[in-house]
Amino acid sequence: MMLADLKPGQSGKILKISVTGALKRRLMDMGVVGGTEVRVKKVAPMGDPIEVRIKSYDLSLRLGEARQIEVEVIN
Amino acid sequence: MKKQKTVVNKKNKTTKNNLTIAVAGNPNAGKSTLINAIAGARLHVGNWPGVTVEKKSAEFEFRNQRVTLVDLPGTYSLSPYTQEEVIARDYLVREKPDVIINVVDATNLERNLYFTLQLLELGIPMVIALNMYDEAGQKGFSIDTDKIASILGCAVVPTVATKKEGVDSLMKTAISFAAAPREHQPGSVSYGEDIEQALTPIAEALKDHPGVLAEHMPLRWLALKVLEHDVRVMSDYGLAADAPFLTWATKHLRAAHGDDLEALLADTRYGLAAGLTHEALKKPETRKKELTERIDAVVLNRLVGIPVFLLAMWLIFKLTFDIAGPFTDWLDGVVAGPLMRWAAAVLAAISAPDWIVSLVTEGIIAGVGAVLVFLPPIFAMMFFITLLEGSGYMARAAFVMDRLMHAIGLHGKSFIPLLLGFGCNVPAIYATRTLENPRDKALTALLIPLMSCGARLPVYVLFSAAFFAAYAGTVLWSLYLLGIVMAVLMGFLFKKTLFRGEAPVFIMELPPYRMPTVKSLMIHTWEKGKHYLIKAGTWILAISVFVWFGLNMPWGVESKKDSYLGKTSQIIAPIFEPLGFGTWEAASSLLTGVVAKEIVISTMGQVYVPQAEEENEEAPSFGEDVKEIGVSFAGAFVDAAKNVFSTFGIATMSAEEDEEASGLKSVLAKTFTPLSAYAFMAFVLLYLPCFIVLVAMWHEFGTWKWAGVTIVYQTVLAWVVAFVIYQGGRLMGF
Ligand SMILES: Nc1nc2c(ncn2[C@@H]2O[C@H](COP(=O)(O)OP(=O)(O)OP(=O)(O)O)[C@@H](O)[C@H]2O)c(=O)[nH]1
Ligand SMILES: [Mg+2]
Repeated sequence: MMLADLKPGQSGKILKISVTGALKRRLMDMGVVGGTEVRVKKVAPMGDPIEVRIKSYDLSLRLGEARQIEVEVIN
Repeated sequence: MKKQKTVVNKKNKTTKNNLTIAVAGNPNAGKSTLINAIAGARLHVGNWPGVTVEKKSAEFEFRNQRVTLVDLPGTYSLSPYTQEEVIARDYLVREKPDVIINVVDATNLERNLYFTLQLLELGIPMVIALNMYDEAGQKGFSIDTDKIASILGCAVVPTVATKKEGVDSLMKTAISFAAAPREHQPGSVSYGEDIEQALTPIAEALKDHPGVLAEHMPLRWLALKVLEHDVRVMSDYGLAADAPFLTWATKHLRAAHGDDLEALLADTRYGLAAGLTHEALKKPETRKKELTERIDAVVLNRLVGIPVFLLAMWLIFKLTFDIAGPFTDWLDGVVAGPLMRWAAAVLAAISAPDWIVSLVTEGIIAGVGAVLVFLPPIFAMMFFITLLEGSGYMARAAFVMDRLMHAIGLHGKSFIPLLLGFGCNVPAIYATRTLENPRDKALTALLIPLMSCGARLPVYVLFSAAFFAAYAGTVLWSLYLLGIVMAVLMGFLFKKTLFRGEAPVFIMELPPYRMPTVKSLMIHTWEKGKHYLIKAGTWILAISVFVWFGLNMPWGVESKKDSYLGKTSQIIAPIFEPLGFGTWEAASSLLTGVVAKEIVISTMGQVYVPQAEEENEEAPSFGEDVKEIGVSFAGAFVDAAKNVFSTFGIATMSAEEDEEASGLKSVLAKTFTPLSAYAFMAFVLLYLPCFIVLVAMWHEFGTWKWAGVTIVYQTVLAWVVAFVIYQGGRLMGF
């Protein structure tokens, strides 16, 4: 399952990041690394970026990137 | 050569006449706030990531010790991603400060410590300022600072930068570290056997590299960067990714962990940071719902999020004009009445020649005064922008608007510079630095001048009060909107022409809401607004004098129309004929307005006003004047308060128009029609930005290319739009 598929309120554990290059590095520097828990908090009013909770802060990213981050749903 | 360098270094180290302390950390951790608290500086702060985009230093004296604090742009790692992060990294690696103060956000330990681990690799004595300690306390966090200090081999001092708590002890520690750097080398944290085993041969191989010797690079740091294949470091040192020593050193590592060593290191560091956080931080069992979540439940709500955003923007406009309006009228009265009279009286008393009297009253006071009068709305606008920045709403606006910005090939984050552009375009151009890629930056910068800055406000206020008294507010609104609509259209156009290619990504931290203190609001409003005052005292003054001479030369010219400025303007005036304002007066205002847009008004003050002065009344005495100023100021306060609470339309400066239609307005009414006035305002909105913006573009991009594109496209756009408005309006029978 991809991060983009999680509904607001759902949490997941990051399995794999398929983004490449500098962007991947950026995401990792901001804490999007394997094994980390993320919770989808909000979807922006116009449906695109989403807000997730990760490592005790709020990060927003677009669905385009969220579709390349594989997660495992946890409850 | 080399010898000399070490001598200089030594001297610095022994006499300690000036210490350099770099302040580094994640974006929005409070670095600039901390420096302001320590050194009494007034660095720009705001509650969104990426406020500081340039390194700035503050020098001051701490207990007889000269200290330079260097504020660096926030960064998430030492592998830079954006341009401002490159600045921070290059400074830390190349300039070798005596001490690093690492500002760590105590509410977000893990991600901040991830960066701390990388700072340690630089081998520079380090003190952690565990900032936002107040917020950590409110969340019920308890942090074992000694544990962090002992594991990392550095000092940890809790601070609350906004309340100046802990800063004294922080500085004392930092200075004692600088005094004895050898005893305070930071610890080194092991990255695990596999990685350490690969590092040793790399460090060994790099030890004698000429670049390393020359720059005293911290070897461990360099070895790590090489292991990570940091592109910049590799090319700076002329290292090939497939250098045999490297392939050999990492063979084992690759076999065990795969080829992506960069990811491996990020994982490892985060693992360490998580471990450290786990040991040092105790969180309460149950988490209470925070204020930020409650506010966001409304502000980012799928249904009401956008209406709330629009309402916020509308409210800002309304309040800006409602509060500032009465004060503008008051200032206008003071400048046009008592100030003029006093200056004339003083000059008469010293029996100055007529031309001096004219230069001072018609040139300087009319010109500079025409602009100064608009300080109230400008400061009000700056106040609200400071409030947006300080509260944390700015980042939300970027989040809400990203989808729309994406459509025009931009990025939610571009929204921040664009919004700042409503205050002043110049800092807005610099704020584009927080955008990751050059394409984004350039496109955003090209659109910024379409955001109507504070300097254009005087023109609208004057014209809309003169021609659209009843709907002045709506007219003002429509102009700001026109700018935005044009930005959207031009964004589309640029996306399809100059900026083809993929749209940028959007990854941004959303900080919690914070209540800015009244003091910091005042300071930062002032810092933003004071540029207008400075401009009035320099550029506008100079141009006013220049315009006065332009209008009075050749010496003794009978009519202003035949003066140099008049003649030049007559030549270009026909260009504006189809737009409805083909007069030489309008042309000369637009011509001089290229320096700064307020000057449009100050020139008009000179070109038109003398005709209006005929309506002479008997002059009140000095005492009456002073009394009147006081009384009308109090009146302005009452009006401002009334405006805020009573009306729910933008009341603007129209209320008292009929009583005292001031000189300029009544003259304008004779030479413009409402339609041509509107076309003129649209033209002023859109035609090329002031030259300071152009210089900022050059400075930011290192080329005149984008400034050139701006000049061309905006001039064409302004002409076309004003043409459509005027001719279209005529067809429709206005
Ligand atoms: N509650 C609280 N707020 C703080 C503290 N220190 C800073 N802030 C707030 O945090 C926000 C960010 O502060 P800045 O000083 O702009 O942060 P910065 O680290 O310079 O950020 P960049 O320049 O973007 O890297 C501002 O709204 C400050 O008022 C603190 O100790 N406690
Ligand atoms: Mg800063």
